[in-house]
Amino acid sequence: MTKDKLSYKLMKIVKSAAAALAVPVFIIYIMVSKPDYAIMNDLAHVVLPVANVVGDIITWPVRIIGQGVHWVRETSQIRTENEILRKKLDEALANKYACDIAMDENKKLEREIDIKHASPYSSVIADVIFDDSVFHHTTFLINKGRKSGLERGMVVVSFENRLIGTIIDCGSQFCRVRAITDSDSNVAVRVSGSGVSGFLRGNGKNKASIGFFSDTQFVGRSGLKIMTSNISGILPSGIYIGDMIDETYVDVLKPNQNSRVMVLKYNNMDSYN
Amino acid sequence: MIKFLFFLKKSMPFLITLFLWRMSVSFWNPAGILALIPIFYYTFVKPIDWFVLFGLTFCFLIDYRCDLPLFWTTLFCLMYAINGFQNYIDITNVEKNALYIFMLFIGSGFFILTCVGGTWNIFINNLWLFIWMGILYIPITSIDNALKIKGLK
Repeated sequence: MTKDKLSYKLMKIVKSAAAALAVPVFIIYIMVSKPDYAIMNDLAHVVLPVANVVGDIITWPVRIIGQGVHWVRETSQIRTENEILRKKLDEALANKYACDIAMDENKKLEREIDIKHASPYSSVIADVIFDDSVFHHTTFLINKGRKSGLERGMVVVSFENRLIGTIIDCGSQFCRVRAITDSDSNVAVRVSGSGVSGFLRGNGKNKASIGFFSDTQFVGRSGLKIMTSNISGILPSGIYIGDMIDETYVDVLKPNQNSRVMVLKYNNMDSYN
Repeated sequence: MIKFLFFLKKSMPFLITLFLWRMSVSFWNPAGILALIPIFYYTFVKPIDWFVLFGLTFCFLIDYRCDLPLFWTTLFCLMYAINGFQNYIDITNVEKNALYIFMLFIGSGFFILTCVGGTWNIFINNLWLFIWMGILYIPITSIDNALKIKGLK
């Protein structure tokens, strides 16, 4: 079909009109469907895995070379790391004995005063498959989804039980997680060792800012530990988030610091499934 | 061999787009955003049959992974509509593979995102991506010309 033909020109106008029509439809959808975007997410649950599989097939030589380079680099560092780990292991073992004694005493005391508390006995381990930190958003994808029993709203933590983010969308075999550094993230927190609560807000940077303290006289300082508080019922309480760097910012865990994470099966009622 | 190269040549636009989207790395190619280069090139500069739908799908996937609901998808449709309705500029014949129009396209997107983000950190990140995508545009779009030189039309 040549460019001069009438049918070509007509076809071009029809296509452009369709595209022009799609623009207001999309804008209205963005405004109306906020914040769930159910249709968009459902569509992505089908398209993303397909594109991922085809992409995996196309890129396997490059990824294998990349993994090989990564493996060589890791192997070269293993000896040094081994020495450091041995030292740490000795220290940890020494601490463990002290901890064992403390735990036994703690259990004994709990029995004596009849304390009952919930524990996160159900969790799923997942790998981070994509770190999508871009613009003012910090999200990432993990390789477990509804098939593993995960749901929107569940909490993602590191292996040190440190908060990383919450699941915002769940496909059958993947989940999208909003990190606490995301600009849309707003988490109810409390300052450990005090009754002061507040809100931790992401801003697209590598650190999150804290504010709206329940005690207006409270001034944060470096070294204070921040935990989740469950004030709004969205997150379970008592998960460690990070230490305060100064009176405004908190040093939080970034998605690129974890290749593997744990998802706590939390049901938004201050208890775990 | 010729048949294989012919197939490669035909499927190259789709493969490049998929490759760039899949090989996402934070900082260098966050959420596979570099895939916007072949999407733009093979939709507007060297249009290929059915590539528009493919490009639209990948704009959608980039948006999904960036957590920007239909942002680049809408911008892509807008660009497609504007390009279709005007006959003042023929993008297919603009020099440097229409690099400046591509930069205008992504630049307007980054500008909106910078205004929404509103921090220096986001501004610098967006500026970096704008420059980086501008730099990579010519090499990536040259792959098409490189295959033509080998006599595969």
